[in-house]
Amino acid sequence: MDLKTLTEINAPAGHEQPIRRVLIEELRAKGFNPYIDRMGNVIVVKEGTGVAPRKRVMVSAHMDEVGLIVTGHAEGGFLKVTQAGGIDPRVLISKRVKVGDDNIPGVIGAVAIHLQSAADRARVMGYRDITVDIGANDKGEAERKAPIGTYISFDTPYVEYGDGYACGKAFDDRVGCWTILRLLEEELPCDLIAAFVSEEEVGCRGASGAAFSQEPDIGIVLEGTTCNDLGDIPEVAQVCKAGEGVAVSFMDGSSIANRDLFKKALEVGEKEGIAHQVKASVSGGNDGGVIQRAREGVPVVVLSVPCRYIHSPSTVVKLSDVEAQFELCRALLKTF
Amino acid sequence: MFELLKKVLSPVGPSGLEAPVAEVIREEIAAYVDTIEVDAMGNLIATKLGKAENPRKVMLSAHMDHIGYIVTGFEKEGFLRVTNVGGIGLVNSYNRHVVFPNGVHGVVVAQPVQGQPALKDLFVDIGAQDKDDAKKMVQLGDVCVYANDCFRLGENRVSAPAMDDRCACTLLVKLLQTVGETQDTIIAVFSVQEEVGCRGAKVASFAKAPVVGIALDVTAWGDTPGTTQPEIKLGEGIAVKVMDRASISNPALREELLACGEKAGVKTQREVLPFGGTDAGAMQTSRGGIPVCTISIPCRYVHSACEVIDMRDMDAGLKLLQTYFN
Amino acid sequence: MDIKKILSESTSTLGVSGQEECVAAYFAEQFKPYVDEVTVDSMFNVVAHKKGSGPKVMLCAHLDEIALMVNHIEDDGCVRFASVGGVDPRILPGSRVWVHGRNGKLFGTIGALPPHLMNAEDRANNYKMDKLHIDLGMSAEKVREQVRVGDLVTFNTPFTELANNQVAAKSLDDRSCIAIMLRAAERLQKMYCEADVYFVCSGQEEVGGRGAKTAAFAVEPDLAVVLDVSFALTPGCGPDVAKPLDAPIVTHGPFIQPKLNKRLIDCAKAHHVKLSQEVSGRSTGTDADDIVISRGGVPSVLISLPLKYMHTAVETISLDTLEECARLLAHFVSELDASWEDDLWI
Repeated sequence: MDLKTLTEINAPAGHEQPIRRVLIEELRAKGFNPYIDRMGNVIVVKEGTGVAPRKRVMVSAHMDEVGLIVTGHAEGGFLKVTQAGGIDPRVLISKRVKVGDDNIPGVIGAVAIHLQSAADRARVMGYRDITVDIGANDKGEAERKAPIGTYISFDTPYVEYGDGYACGKAFDDRVGCWTILRLLEEELPCDLIAAFVSEEEVGCRGASGAAFSQEPDIGIVLEGTTCNDLGDIPEVAQVCKAGEGVAVSFMDGSSIANRDLFKKALEVGEKEGIAHQVKASVSGGNDGGVIQRAREGVPVVVLSVPCRYIHSPSTVVKLSDVEAQFELCRALLKTF
Repeated sequence: MFELLKKVLSPVGPSGLEAPVAEVIREEIAAYVDTIEVDAMGNLIATKLGKAENPRKVMLSAHMDHIGYIVTGFEKEGFLRVTNVGGIGLVNSYNRHVVFPNGVHGVVVAQPVQGQPALKDLFVDIGAQDKDDAKKMVQLGDVCVYANDCFRLGENRVSAPAMDDRCACTLLVKLLQTVGETQDTIIAVFSVQEEVGCRGAKVASFAKAPVVGIALDVTAWGDTPGTTQPEIKLGEGIAVKVMDRASISNPALREELLACGEKAGVKTQREVLPFGGTDAGAMQTSRGGIPVCTISIPCRYVHSACEVIDMRDMDAGLKLLQTYFN
Repeated sequence: MDIKKILSESTSTLGVSGQEECVAAYFAEQFKPYVDEVTVDSMFNVVAHKKGSGPKVMLCAHLDEIALMVNHIEDDGCVRFASVGGVDPRILPGSRVWVHGRNGKLFGTIGALPPHLMNAEDRANNYKMDKLHIDLGMSAEKVREQVRVGDLVTFNTPFTELANNQVAAKSLDDRSCIAIMLRAAERLQKMYCEADVYFVCSGQEEVGGRGAKTAAFAVEPDLAVVLDVSFALTPGCGPDVAKPLDAPIVTHGPFIQPKLNKRLIDCAKAHHVKLSQEVSGRSTGTDADDIVISRGGVPSVLISLPLKYMHTAVETISLDTLEECARLLAHFVSELDASWEDDLWI
């Protein structure tokens, strides 16, 4: 299993079957006994090597990605769509997509620039304007091939480029999934609850059930996070920088990090010489919030790989940051 | 109660970093309760066992946290860029004195811009020479709050920045100190992170599984020039909440509390707040659901550096709650 | 079972979000003949349990209604109000209401400025909630004797029968869906039923799924079917957002368990129930949103009854569609067995 394979699986929020199948197969091949809970989360519990009572640490990453969903069909055989997870419709124009479980190729076009008035050009195209074209001859064919409720994913292959960067879709949060798969191969003192959770992109729904059922002592959330480090962004407004290591959050839209864990993560990073940075923004939300507030409360920290152009068909990560996420999480786990 | 209030107002305790407040409160209540614990989120939970054979578990919640600004960046000249923790108002913050838990002082300033300044236009001047100097004083993720400035206003009123919700913490401390033997078991939760979404009360009520929940909080006012709603007046009594955005009080419990006020001979006000929410919302929807209500202390200029309450309303609240438990 | 009678009685029974005692007592009584046990909990959820040995399924429709609440009494006797749940202030001018005071309900009307006195700007703008008032035809002194801050105000619109078996009333959102559950309960008495069925009439849906959240925690179901109303086609409410009045609606989207949904759609096909389909890309705006994430998770589906003019005092439905929803629900529940969870997620 590699990052390329993981990111190229199409599994928007609420339609995680494709990645669930791959993960179950991979985990079984590695000798684990994964199971699926009632939120569709894939869970593996690996006992630690320490003496009992051991800490039960839930390391979670979400399986789902942002995508589209078919809401209806227009005359001429076009698919009407809306978002499953937050996608700015402006990034969709002139892109290729894969439709449904059969991965039917489709495109999202736009009215030719020649035919646009000045007012048209100034107007932002929204989901009311956007249709997906799979080449259907008529509405009937479109309905048969992509009925209402069919999910659609970006069709952008994984490419490594530049100085150690990779471009692709769904790095948010297949990087975390990949890191967990690697962590499962490590000997750790604590019990590791590896949770590949569902539906983060539509409100952190899978993690809520996983944390309730698993009752962990500590939660570590592995994420991909925003990173606006290029272009016209003044340095103080930057969230984190690609290439400067795994980002540790003090607070985001959904949780305030447990101070002790936050400090510990930074100390471990310092001590082990693992590239890390503090995520310098209070933005977005992730599974940390619902895990922290499951049952009687759980100390939580979020470790993220900076992702440029997140939630777009062409997200960019620096592979050394993915490595740093793995190393910092491993080092942190060894302290429990 | 004023001296106690002053004491509880003094520690710096922004949302997520409430431990110093918990320390002050712990000392005040230790002699009056059976157990004290701090949970995974930092809630200070004191239990005072009831004398009934199978005492009801009644949870009272007052939040310790205070709105503030969190450091998100450093300008090269040493100024801090910040964002809000909880609903802190921009206009209320201009040129205000703030303080960090480690004692570093600062002034919140809005840089000149066209039109209204936004959050991104705020900076905090901590007197640093440059970026490196600033980084020695505070770290990314550190949080500052309005510096404590507690003073009497006229005969009965008191102004201070952290009145929301330390005045309710004070009320709860005072209740524990004075209530004596009760039939019900009182679970007094000094909760964390209310200002960012009643997060502490959520886990505390799950853990303690009470059968009744009463939040103690402040409420808005309608008795100053240009305001009429909510129909709440300072000094006109303790308010009993009918509804806000986060909870609708259980009608029977609400009437019971109002009746307790009457029995205690104190003035009460009925409160309908079209905005805001308290820990009652989190308690009500915990587990299988419980009846909840909020006892509100009328407070002018909520979420500013000068939050004003009337001590007579505090006394009314105390007597009402004493009556409820006796 | 006389569905019209139930709709007429229940929609005229007081049951505002958070204070649903009366309507809860009404529905608890209605369920009694069809189930083994009925309780009303502290959130005023009605939980009617029909015992079975199979999977534990929670059926849920909300019993609360949107309303207004007194928040200020002016010195001229005008009563000012806030909303409980999403009330559109544009529907209020000229409305008749009941103000539920300390000695019973008082007739009131919500005033509107006469057109003669309006200027062009007045006409171009909608009324705002805080500029409207209720006229009780009494002096402030008399009003204050009987009405207090926090008292409830509900619409005073009688149940109305329209052509083609359509009916209009306030609060058909979502009491018509409780009628669906009642009809399904009646049908299930004569059908094979292995499932352990909980009919839940939930409180406080209109202010955010609060009753369903706690009811789901308490009931701890294996799976859930949520019933709520959805938008029916009307002028200004076209096919992008609304569906025909004459067919039950199923919903696709991340909050709905896809395999369970397929089971529901197959069930409809097998019993010749015509369906419409809609998509919720994120939350469904119903109790399902909270039930799904109760405890470790509750796979759920949603059946919607199309309704015209939602959140007005003249919400309109088709009784024929209501019956179809009940037929579908009864068959779906009747056919539930241990196999429901097979390959649910793969």
